[in-house]
Amino acid sequence: MPHDLFEVDKSIPERKKHIYIKDNADPAQEIPSCNTKTIPGCMTERGCAFAGLKGVITGAVKDAAHVVHSPVGCTAYGYGTKRYPTTSDMPDGGKFPLENFNLKYIMGTDLKESDVVFGGMKKLRQSILEAAKEFPEANAIYAYATCTTGLIGDDMDGVVKELSEELGKDVVAFNAPGFSGPTQSKGHHVGNHTLFQHLVGTKEPPETTPYDVNLIGEYNIDGDLWILKPYFKEMGINILSTFTGDCCHDEICWMHRAKLSLVRCQRSATYIADLIEKEYGVPYMKVDFFGPTYCAENLRAIGKHFGLEDKAEEVIKDRMDKIKPDLEFYKEKLQGKKVWVFSGGPKNWHLPRPLEECLGMEVVAVSTMFEHEDGYEKIKERVKEDTVIVDDPNSLEMEEIVEKYQPDIMLSGVKEKYLAHKLQLPCVLIHSYENGPYIGFEGFINLAKDIYAAIYNPVWDMVEFQEEVEETPELNEEINQSENIKLKA
Amino acid sequence: MPKSEKNFQEGCGGFFIKDVENSLSQKGMFLSSTDKKFAVINPARMCQPLGAVQALLGVKGAMPLIHGSQGCSTYMRFQLCRHFREPINISSTSMSESTVVYGGEKNLIKALDTITRQYEPELIGVTSSCLTETIGDDMDLIIRNFLKDNNDFPVIPISTPSYAGSHVEGYNHALRALVEKLVNPTSVHYSEEKSTFESSYIDNKLNNLRRDPKYVNKNYNVKINLITGLISPSDVFTIKDLLQEMELESIILTDTSQSLHSPLNGEINFLPSQGTTIAQIKDTINSRGTICLSRHADSAGVFLEKNFGVKLINIPLPVGLSATDQFVETLSAVGNKEIPENIKLERGQLLDAMVDAHAYNYKRRVAIYGEPDMVIGLTRFLSELGMHPVVVCTGTQSNIFRDEIGVMALEYGHDIHIISGGDLYDLQQKIVEEDVELLLGNSYSARIASEKNIPLIRVGFPVFDRIGAQRINITGYRAGLNFLDKVTNTIMERYYDPGIQEKI
Repeated sequence: MPHDLFEVDKSIPERKKHIYIKDNADPAQEIPSCNTKTIPGCMTERGCAFAGLKGVITGAVKDAAHVVHSPVGCTAYGYGTKRYPTTSDMPDGGKFPLENFNLKYIMGTDLKESDVVFGGMKKLRQSILEAAKEFPEANAIYAYATCTTGLIGDDMDGVVKELSEELGKDVVAFNAPGFSGPTQSKGHHVGNHTLFQHLVGTKEPPETTPYDVNLIGEYNIDGDLWILKPYFKEMGINILSTFTGDCCHDEICWMHRAKLSLVRCQRSATYIADLIEKEYGVPYMKVDFFGPTYCAENLRAIGKHFGLEDKAEEVIKDRMDKIKPDLEFYKEKLQGKKVWVFSGGPKNWHLPRPLEECLGMEVVAVSTMFEHEDGYEKIKERVKEDTVIVDDPNSLEMEEIVEKYQPDIMLSGVKEKYLAHKLQLPCVLIHSYENGPYIGFEGFINLAKDIYAAIYNPVWDMVEFQEEVEETPELNEEINQSENIKLKA
Repeated sequence: MPKSEKNFQEGCGGFFIKDVENSLSQKGMFLSSTDKKFAVINPARMCQPLGAVQALLGVKGAMPLIHGSQGCSTYMRFQLCRHFREPINISSTSMSESTVVYGGEKNLIKALDTITRQYEPELIGVTSSCLTETIGDDMDLIIRNFLKDNNDFPVIPISTPSYAGSHVEGYNHALRALVEKLVNPTSVHYSEEKSTFESSYIDNKLNNLRRDPKYVNKNYNVKINLITGLISPSDVFTIKDLLQEMELESIILTDTSQSLHSPLNGEINFLPSQGTTIAQIKDTINSRGTICLSRHADSAGVFLEKNFGVKLINIPLPVGLSATDQFVETLSAVGNKEIPENIKLERGQLLDAMVDAHAYNYKRRVAIYGEPDMVIGLTRFLSELGMHPVVVCTGTQSNIFRDEIGVMALEYGHDIHIISGGDLYDLQQKIVEEDVELLLGNSYSARIASEKNIPLIRVGFPVFDRIGAQRINITGYRAGLNFLDKVTNTIMERYYDPGIQEKI
């Protein structure tokens, strides 16, 4: 019986097809039903298309000003929510004058009721002009549709086309209102297509080398990119463009000039690699840098592509030597600990094997918010028999997973973290990280350390009010004595 | 004249709005709103459903449901989770393209059905969103269709479009909707006032139940309704504690003191297990009076006064000495109780510390940013400490805020830049212009503080880059004392050499 209806879902039997327990006898295409609309009222952890677009794809670009065409809410929540730091380094060797510009500022059209009635085009136009005036340093302006502006039918494309000419810089409209698609994944999709359509192929890089790559789907969460970059540099590979961690607007414009695209987050960014391959013939390779084994494997593959095998081996040996003692320590401590991975999507297939093989842990449950069929197939391939795979779990199911599968730790996002804590389950954030970065060789040690710290937190031994003390004649004697003293006093 | 303004004139010691405005303009004070630019840069306010949800999270057994895209509830859960560091459950009707075209009835009914079966809540508070307001869903009608004959089950529609007002108005609307619907669910329908504190509260839609013989000669009980406004769970707790110390029975609207600050004891609650009960909310019509600590959230109190004759007393949030005095005196008068010795002791201790701290705080130039009632309270408190609030900022556009700060400016002889309805960019510019030495604000102002190298004391909502947001405590004498220490020590840490105070 591969699909399981949880106890808590008796009133919503539709959930059964989203919960699958891996059985090796099943055909490969037997996976949880996914990428479909959530049942209204189900306590989903999913977000909206706008969140997927601004919060994942475009928000990391360091030199673009972001204008959200919305009432105040979407602008406020789109501000400062993701940990993707940027440097001020620009590809031409110059410096962008505003440090962490992408984290520090967000602009919005602040729509009012009258705009909803009469249209918000005028405000959008003026806001973009304002943004250009307030931040003349910004090399591009990205404008976002939201539920309200998607509904009132503002022609954003028309406005940005006009303004691009007027301002002499790229103004791009992204049309992913919150209600589009079943999850934030729709926003990733729109972001990829819009950036490709409007930008890729419009500029030329200052210089090129035979070893230029696009690193696609790497958003520099808590500095992930800055772990990976030295590997490439030491191998003699030049990252021409990152999509979109610590990248500048122009990098996206010249992605067509790379010799190879590497797709790191394959859920949110395979689209653009595909488009670039079709249009410009740049091949792409799917890569995985989580955990030392995958990291080594993939660096070797990249090295092979460029004939830099020896260089790859040097990097791998250097890093493996460095992390080996730590890895051994954590493996000993985490041996046999059961883990539940709840990610947006890809970390569900990135993490299970590294956790099992390198740290000796046992993955008992995996769940995702917005993974599609191809992702679930990979997840299924990489987890062991009897692991429960849950698509878009609701909060009651989460409690049931804890009861049924008894994980020792959960790896998830902030919304789930405090729920886990109330269930006395340690939790480590894997969307935005606790003490990251978590990618690459060194990053995996950071992850192991955070998992170790969470599981061995001394507080878990103190949950009960008092250890039950066995009554003994000596103890009773002591109590009597102390009571006598009190009475005398 | 709208009643809210009239109230204000009565309540501000003889100053009239015109006087305030004239004086402010004579003093060259800058009253900024959103007039100078079109765009908002780094918003200083959030949207209505967020405030409404916070009110609902203080009701025992209540489930908030946002009728809109998933993003609305997810973003708000995220915002609340990282602030309170508690699990937050807010359900969504998960609107998508097709449902947008055909209207949201199907989704709303399905969501209500799913929630009822899965979570068995005692109450569901349904807030609207930009999306469902724009497509014009009639939530009232849909909910009636859902309930059919089951009229006793409270499903409360709250109209909260983000294109009007801010989370402060959303909180206000939710409280009013809760009280209106629960005290008489069959005959009272939620009114469609746009912004309660800007309007006159003339509500023709409501049956004036006072004319109903049922309410003639009724006996009010000894309880006091207390509207706290948007304050931290610890502040709610402090106020409850004070009421208890004065041996007063109360109904808190709404009580987040435990639901948003819950213990780790092996239990998980998907609905608030503590908080104001439905029975208590129903009972508010019988209370002796309503004390409202937030001029921005008094519409439920106005409703109770107009329709049930429950006297509404608007007083400031008890932050600092004089406002706490006023609160304690009001409690004493309304409850007919003596002020206990212990409270007098605490007052004396705060007063003593204020004298001790004055030399360090005097004339220090501070900026204060956050929810309007909190900023008003802190502006008074810091003025009492001898400090000079040079910039005060709230994201909510509010005449009450502007006027109350204006009155304080006159009272203390301070020039104050008042930013009402502004954004963080306005705040940043004024902070630079005004040579601010200390900033009080939420985590959104942390970057300004670090860039300008100004010490920041985190207070308000949201505070996500420090721990203990739900424990930030500023109300009452005891918390005021701790807060005074924090303020003064922050000043001493930054502006005095270590280890050489007091010189002999």
